[in-house]
Amino acid sequence: MHIAVILRLNPVLTDELELTEGGKDIDREWIGFELNPMDDQALEQSVLLKEAHGAKVTAIAAEAEGGERLLRTALARGVDDVLLISNKKDDDAPPPSSRARTPLLVEAIKQVKPDLVITGILSTDDLYGELAPQLAACLNWPQASAVSDVRLDGMVLTVRQEYAGGMAALIEMDLPAVIGLQTAASPPRYVAGSKLRDLLNTKVPEMEASAEFAEDLSEATTLNLPDTSGGAEMIEGDAKSVAARIHEILMERGLV
Amino acid sequence: MGGTTTPVLWVVTLLAFAISGWRFWLLFRPLLSARPAHRTDRLGERLRGVIGDIGLHRRLLRFTYSGVLHALIFSGFLVLFTAIIEAFGSGLFPGFSLHVIGGDTWIALLQNIFSILIIVGLVMAAYQRFVVKPLRFQGSNQYDATVIYVLVLAIVLTMLLEAAARMAILAEPSPWRPLSSLGMYLLVGLNITGDRAIVAEHVFYWAHIAAILGFLIYIPGSKHRHMFTAAPNIFFRPLTPKGQLPPPQQTEESAPEIVTEYRDFTWKDLLDTLSCTECGRCQSVCPAYAGGKPLSPKKLIMNLRDGMLTDQGLLDSPDHAMPIVGGVIAPETLWSCTTCRACMEVCPVHIEHVPKIVKLRRSMIEQGTIEPLLQSTLTNFQSQGNSFGKPPKQRARWTKDLSYKIKDARKEPVDILWFVGDFASFDERAQKLTVQVGELLALAGVDVGILYDGERNSGNDIRRVGDEGLFELLATHNIEQLRDCQFNRIMTTDPHSLNALKSEYPAFGAKYEVVHYSQLFLELIKEGKLKVEPSAGATVTYHDPCYLGRYNGGFDAPRELIETMGHTLKEMPRNRENSFCCGAGGGRIFMEDNPTGERPSENRIHEALGLGGVSYFVVSCPKDVVMYTAAIQAVGAEDKIAVRDLAELISESVVVPTEVATHDNA
Amino acid sequence: MRALIFVEHSNGVVSENAFEMLLLAKSIGAECHGLICTGDAGAAQALGTQLTGFDAVSAVADPTVGHYNPEAVLIALKAAVETQAPDVVMTSYSTAGVDLAAGLAVRSERPMLGYVTDLELNSGGLSATSQVYGGKLTAKTDLPLPAVTTVMPGARKAGSLSGAAPAVTMLKPDLSGARTRVREIITPDNSSGVNLGNADMIFCVGRALGGTEKLPLAEALAAALKAELAGSRPVIDAGWLPKIRQVGKSGTKVKPKLYLMAGVSGAPEHLEGMESSELIIAINSDEQAPIFRKAHYGTACDMFQLIPALTERLNSGNS
Repeated sequence: MHIAVILRLNPVLTDELELTEGGKDIDREWIGFELNPMDDQALEQSVLLKEAHGAKVTAIAAEAEGGERLLRTALARGVDDVLLISNKKDDDAPPPSSRARTPLLVEAIKQVKPDLVITGILSTDDLYGELAPQLAACLNWPQASAVSDVRLDGMVLTVRQEYAGGMAALIEMDLPAVIGLQTAASPPRYVAGSKLRDLLNTKVPEMEASAEFAEDLSEATTLNLPDTSGGAEMIEGDAKSVAARIHEILMERGLV
Repeated sequence: MGGTTTPVLWVVTLLAFAISGWRFWLLFRPLLSARPAHRTDRLGERLRGVIGDIGLHRRLLRFTYSGVLHALIFSGFLVLFTAIIEAFGSGLFPGFSLHVIGGDTWIALLQNIFSILIIVGLVMAAYQRFVVKPLRFQGSNQYDATVIYVLVLAIVLTMLLEAAARMAILAEPSPWRPLSSLGMYLLVGLNITGDRAIVAEHVFYWAHIAAILGFLIYIPGSKHRHMFTAAPNIFFRPLTPKGQLPPPQQTEESAPEIVTEYRDFTWKDLLDTLSCTECGRCQSVCPAYAGGKPLSPKKLIMNLRDGMLTDQGLLDSPDHAMPIVGGVIAPETLWSCTTCRACMEVCPVHIEHVPKIVKLRRSMIEQGTIEPLLQSTLTNFQSQGNSFGKPPKQRARWTKDLSYKIKDARKEPVDILWFVGDFASFDERAQKLTVQVGELLALAGVDVGILYDGERNSGNDIRRVGDEGLFELLATHNIEQLRDCQFNRIMTTDPHSLNALKSEYPAFGAKYEVVHYSQLFLELIKEGKLKVEPSAGATVTYHDPCYLGRYNGGFDAPRELIETMGHTLKEMPRNRENSFCCGAGGGRIFMEDNPTGERPSENRIHEALGLGGVSYFVVSCPKDVVMYTAAIQAVGAEDKIAVRDLAELISESVVVPTEVATHDNA
Repeated sequence: MRALIFVEHSNGVVSENAFEMLLLAKSIGAECHGLICTGDAGAAQALGTQLTGFDAVSAVADPTVGHYNPEAVLIALKAAVETQAPDVVMTSYSTAGVDLAAGLAVRSERPMLGYVTDLELNSGGLSATSQVYGGKLTAKTDLPLPAVTTVMPGARKAGSLSGAAPAVTMLKPDLSGARTRVREIITPDNSSGVNLGNADMIFCVGRALGGTEKLPLAEALAAALKAELAGSRPVIDAGWLPKIRQVGKSGTKVKPKLYLMAGVSGAPEHLEGMESSELIIAINSDEQAPIFRKAHYGTACDMFQLIPALTERLNSGNS
């Protein structure tokens, strides 16, 4: 059993976002990047499957910057192999969308030849299509997104797909297949710095993809800061006075 | 003495020694399979420490009442040792006597005097333990202490009574034995004289022997084994800088060994546990314990000891070794420590609590058992090099508010390289102070530069959290950055960075002269580079940050600065070495802070409020600014006291030269 | 302009989202086709009668898609797109929408746009508004046609259009090649008696809670309010609260009189589950958090100070 897990870097969203001039992209100068939290779940699930079934796991990324670090972290987390797709984008252009990256990732998957591809269900900048269904469509493999449980039995895969209202279904798929993971069976583990330190000089294998980025609508998109008018009436002050004001609001409405 | 006494005494003495020796062997056996610790350098200094802390009771006397009573019993025991020699010598080797050197004269007098002192000490001890009941004894073994009091009292009384009975034979008191003479009158009054007194002398002699041998047999299992272990434990104390943690011991493989079982500790770690006297001084100064956290340094050491003594697997199959974390010590206990070092500073026998906690934390980190908030903070460190998870580029963003462009020390030589630190760089409240420090430096004409986005967290608290690898990654990064810079000294406002740069980085071969801003500003003022006009003067108190004071001895510069600014310093009861941690150290600030009781920082604010009439709570650490501002809000004392950083005090009093002022106005 | 709307349903009832998409499609003057996938013709007819306002409805009735099957439904949808040649295909931003839209876009070589909250006509196509970066930004995109979109639940207020439901046309695509089988349907475990859907008052905690250590604080406030305690997805994923207490896309949709929330940033997936609440009060230290755009009242006060303060206030005020 060979599992490929696709990892992406995402901007850290706890900080304030600012836009570049013209609004074609967020201002990346001052923001931090992290492993997409859903891909983090996918990474954890891959390693859990490795531990449970002795699968081999290869982590794949197509990042222009920070990809080596990202993949070293994946090695520290327990994957067996990594592959970085060199990324030929212009320096100033925003990182390509999941849709744009799909052909490069498909090429890498065809090279790695996994039985199962796992990635996060979405990343918050997946405006032109989430990754898992696109990979599946290109590879002509079955796919399920919003998955919270993955079980392997030979070449048959059973996943739990989550729906609105707490509904779910157990879905069986023939391998090879693609999964858009929502939640791993246990939260992502912590990797001690010693493992990262030991991997500091590990060479991350790179591949030159012959495929070009796919077209998306990014040229046609302009970003805006949302209109904040009409939002919440903000209550200022220290905890005591805010608590008093909330209490007052609740009393006015007869809720307490 | 004679007849059957000698052979019987030989038998019981040898037997008692054998039993006691066997009991000691069981205790110390684990030390043989433990890891090495190199503690045989600087012998003179080691010996001086033993003399100071045992001979002079230096640490013991910090708790005056306990120190005095200990001194009474301790000195009494030394003198009474002569009586023990006499008793056993005469019994084992008929004819032996201290008579020739004054055993019946001045030695006897000393024995009588010190018997009184011991009894006074015992009464004081019993009064303290059974009537005063200080909180620090909570969790200590009261039964053990009581047995010891009884045995010591028995040794003293039987010694006195034996001499009394001897004198009662002829009803001849000795002026050298005033106390025993009183006993003699008592015996004579009871008509115990002549032959009856001979019998009584024998009875008291054997009772004396029994008490001593009983004590000998009892002591290995008692906390009073510290009579034997205290001296070596103090002798083998660490002499490395206080701010330097022992690195994990490397095994043949590259991975550092972590402590999961007792054999992974060093023999000194294990000796520590056997030396604990359960006096609870550590517990009484521990901020975690005071805040209701599940950590008492005393219980930690006692539990480690008890765990070790029940660990049957230590010498046998490795499968039987008892896991320490989760088995003997709960993870929450280990995460509660702020590494403030108050426990180590106060321990009379120099037990090393903090290194043991860090060693056990390392094992948790390696195994990934770690609380969620700490996990996300450490992940931030891994990806961005700071606890805030902000990209390195944002680190120097605060410089936008400076009136000048501060030099990039990586690009041009500077006199002072300012290592800014995480909180000072990223925390909003601390940033304002950072800007003030920057303005003051400019005002004093200091040639200063920073590392901009080249700086990473110093790693001080990460090392204390137990992530040794991450600490190394951060430290080597900073060292590489500093290697390419030309500077004379490093300055920082953050005591945690100070400690890492000054005490931890030398282990990587990087030695710098590092000063705290309190020291640098004091120099600048003294040299006249920074002119200050003492203000009207407020009454203030000052909080010693652990990593500036206790760890690095920076007690005086902040105080001198405060006074130079014209303020009146009113010390809190816990000051200098005895300062009380704000609760943020040792990585605590990266973890969940569940209110389990009064937070250490709130406890400290109450201490300051208790002084009365203090308007400023002066701090000299960016973390303290954050911690105490929150604490003052939490206790609702905003109208009574305010946090002031040293930089603010200086800024308020500094004289801005007119040409600079006009320049600003232009 | 023709729109093909993928109609989701559960327990024989068409999802509200279908009507929201219908209204959105009508607002750009589209002729609206609905596609139903279900197990048998009877069920298809029954669902079809609910689709008032649609201009045409087609259905695939096949046991393979008796329950939603990601692969078979994609084949069916693609077949419908091929026969009807819509200008815009609309799926809801739901599990099925995520599965289908991007897959269909690749297979039919159409551009795709996600997280759509609004569509307008412009010269040569559509102008679409989307949410991006977890709702922190909006994106305006000139959408060339034909295209595929996923539409955020709540993009329009659902309301039925008058008129009769159109007759259902049956489609018979070949679904035999599907390598995906639905084995078991799991309904939420309600044995604990927690029913967020019916709750009048809900106190919801988010990721900022940090861990189970802080739960007692939250529980105390919930008790003081007599509210049900709920959590956002990260809280459930981390195991701090049971799944039954999850509000949002993959949890329960709620409509309480009071929705008090602390430490929830307000990702679109969460908003979807609670935005119809009558009164929303949000506590979040990030003043830019998207939740403040939906909440009626907000505060950036530290939740760990405010929660105990409010609990105390309520307890003293109630006694």
